[in-house]
Amino acid sequence: MYEVGNMSLFRLFLIFVKIGAVLLGGGYVILPIMNSEFVEKRSLISNDDMINYFALSQSLPGIIAANISMFVGYKLRGKWGAIIAMLGVTFVPFWCIVLLASVLGALTQNSYVQGALWGVGVAVIALIMLTVREMWQKSDKNIYFYTIFLLTLASLLVFKLSPIQAILIFTIIGVLYKRFAERCE
Amino acid sequence: MIYIHLFAEFFKIGLFSFGGGYATIPFLYHISQVYNWYSLDELTQMVAVASITPGPVGINVATYAGLKSAGLLGSALATGAEMLPALILVIIVSKLLRKFSDNFYVKSIIETLKPISCALLTSVAIGLLIPDLKDIKALVLLACLLLLSWKSKKDPLFYIFLAAFVGVVISLIN
Repeated sequence: MYEVGNMSLFRLFLIFVKIGAVLLGGGYVILPIMNSEFVEKRSLISNDDMINYFALSQSLPGIIAANISMFVGYKLRGKWGAIIAMLGVTFVPFWCIVLLASVLGALTQNSYVQGALWGVGVAVIALIMLTVREMWQKSDKNIYFYTIFLLTLASLLVFKLSPIQAILIFTIIGVLYKRFAERCE
Repeated sequence: MIYIHLFAEFFKIGLFSFGGGYATIPFLYHISQVYNWYSLDELTQMVAVASITPGPVGINVATYAGLKSAGLLGSALATGAEMLPALILVIIVSKLLRKFSDNFYVKSIIETLKPISCALLTSVAIGLLIPDLKDIKALVLLACLLLLSWKSKKDPLFYIFLAAFVGVVISLIN
């Protein structure tokens, strides 16, 4: 059943440690990094699956970056894969806080640290824009895709719906429409 | 006793915070009012600290709050408890998706999630870009990074480290 079950749990752990170590500038950067590690470099996850995990991760409670890691971990190695992904992605963030707790307050005031973070913030925007472009190129675009895309984007930008509200509303509308279309055929 | 409370409180955050990262802050604020694990000032500092260390803010703050209130064991417990609800849900959802992958509704949901995901990510990009529109340096750096990648895409780490380096150089000049 696991066509990709040959990756060892230890290797999976190491990949997620690496991903966790570079999760700077907000959790959203995880999508470009996961795409690079699992879709492009190793072809272990399809682009379509990754897109679905991204939406599903936002529909579930909890930390989005951890959720998407657990989905990928489960896909690759089942239950233990999900647990290993969770432990791996939190490994560096956890020890960073524990070991640096006493000096972190001073670090936030440091102007070089702030400069580096400013740069990382810009890189995150670039990475997310590149991911949008790629998602867009690889998607199967038809009238249905464009309609749902534009409606969702408008609801997020104009009506300020939260991601979870937008996901729920447009998934229900989409499924009802599909049901209706199927009946009419 | 504190371990049980820590576990229960962070499990609750993991179960009820939708939208990631900053969605956990109202819960953490509530904790600062009910327990004396950390003060409101410390919470503000924790959020600042979380923004300079790797990892999602929600996880960083759980680790920090656990450490402050009950040491290393406390921080492991708070971090684990926060992710446990999602772990259980991810496993259930993945199993259902696999089992019912031929079902009409599952197929329709998946086909609908794709344009929704694209729209979500596009809105994130726009939301992050708007505050930077007044920052000429940020726009120039962004344009350079995009130009660098347009023809051949490099590892995401390349852009992150390059941009961090540029940020340090700029703060050296200032």
